[in-house]
Amino acid sequence: MKGSNRVSLLVVAVAVVTTSVAHPRQLSAENAASSSGTSSTAGQWSVQVDKVDPGDVALAPSFQIAIYESLVDELGKTKRFKQVLRDGDRNAGDISDLLILKTSVQKYSAGSETRRAVTTVSGATKLTVRSQLCARDGHIILERTVNGNVRFMGSNLRATHNLARNVAKAIKQSSLPDPSHSASHAAIDSDQVVVVELR
Amino acid sequence: MNRRIISTRLKPDLFLVSLVLLWCSVAALAQSPGQSANSPTPVSIRGTHLLGFENAKNNANGTLSIEGDALQFQKDGKPTEQVKIASVQDIFLGEQSKQVGGTPMTLGKAAVPFGGGRAISLFAHKKYDTLALEYVDSNGGMHGAIFQLNKGQAEALRNELVAKGARVSESANEPVKQSNAEVPSEGK
Repeated sequence: MKGSNRVSLLVVAVAVVTTSVAHPRQLSAENAASSSGTSSTAGQWSVQVDKVDPGDVALAPSFQIAIYESLVDELGKTKRFKQVLRDGDRNAGDISDLLILKTSVQKYSAGSETRRAVTTVSGATKLTVRSQLCARDGHIILERTVNGNVRFMGSNLRATHNLARNVAKAIKQSSLPDPSHSASHAAIDSDQVVVVELR
Repeated sequence: MNRRIISTRLKPDLFLVSLVLLWCSVAALAQSPGQSANSPTPVSIRGTHLLGFENAKNNANGTLSIEGDALQFQKDGKPTEQVKIASVQDIFLGEQSKQVGGTPMTLGKAAVPFGGGRAISLFAHKKYDTLALEYVDSNGGMHGAIFQLNKGQAEALRNELVAKGARVSESANEPVKQSNAEVPSEGK
């Protein structure tokens, strides 16, 4: 009899602990969902992805193409924008709420897949770019410095995929001004631009 | 005695048969290059689609070919993905060295004791050519695609594409080899 009482007490205790632990998490999950929901509905911009500017960096053309294509892919996945247009797309002229994503390469370390496989600690491929979301008139709305690396496994081109994912993540997490508000007030001053480095 | 007669009778027949066979094989050998010289054979190369073509999966193996005025990529048993050669704006060649064997090989190397996998990695790599294309769609939107080909095949394919009307900028003529030096951009 005593044994059964102990078991029932234990069950009740476990149930209490479980509910107390689960409830706050559920609430926080709801909050997160609602916050992400507001961020995705707030932005009704379309974005046009410009070709990657290699700057002074001797970046292989295949890397430039890979960054560009990965950016188009990853920005589409964020669902933050109404449309993701490519560089040179004639439809961009008809869209009023259009942002232009400019990407310029700042730093590049080529790395080697074989060195990574042999040494583990060296041979990383590193890419650093500056991404700018600009309005039509050229005013910068958002600016980020983003890295994309391959340190252990994978080919060198994987750095471009990681980079594009980080750029898309940075844009998704940032708050963009309302398109209609922005249209009436031209663009944000350059003083208001926040530069954040993601490492 | 009988045996001798039979063998002498067979010998000329065998000789004749072998002569006919030899003539046939020589004729067949002589004919095949002549045929290929007269009719233009479509270029067809096995390669890996790294990225770019919309309906083809990344890192998919398949056949890259030139059919008429289009560059096609076909994964075995999948519909063909194609781009008009006239829409190609630029072609870039490159080289890269990759570890062979993919994930199974990597896991296998990790399982080798005493760091033996690292020693295997030293030799388990292969050099490939990369062929990067820039082309435009019907709306004028820029697209890029990258293919990995066996060494020496990218240049042949590029020449074929150029002959069929693809555009190539002067800067794209030199194959780019990856260096390990870190190159910071200044003044940005």
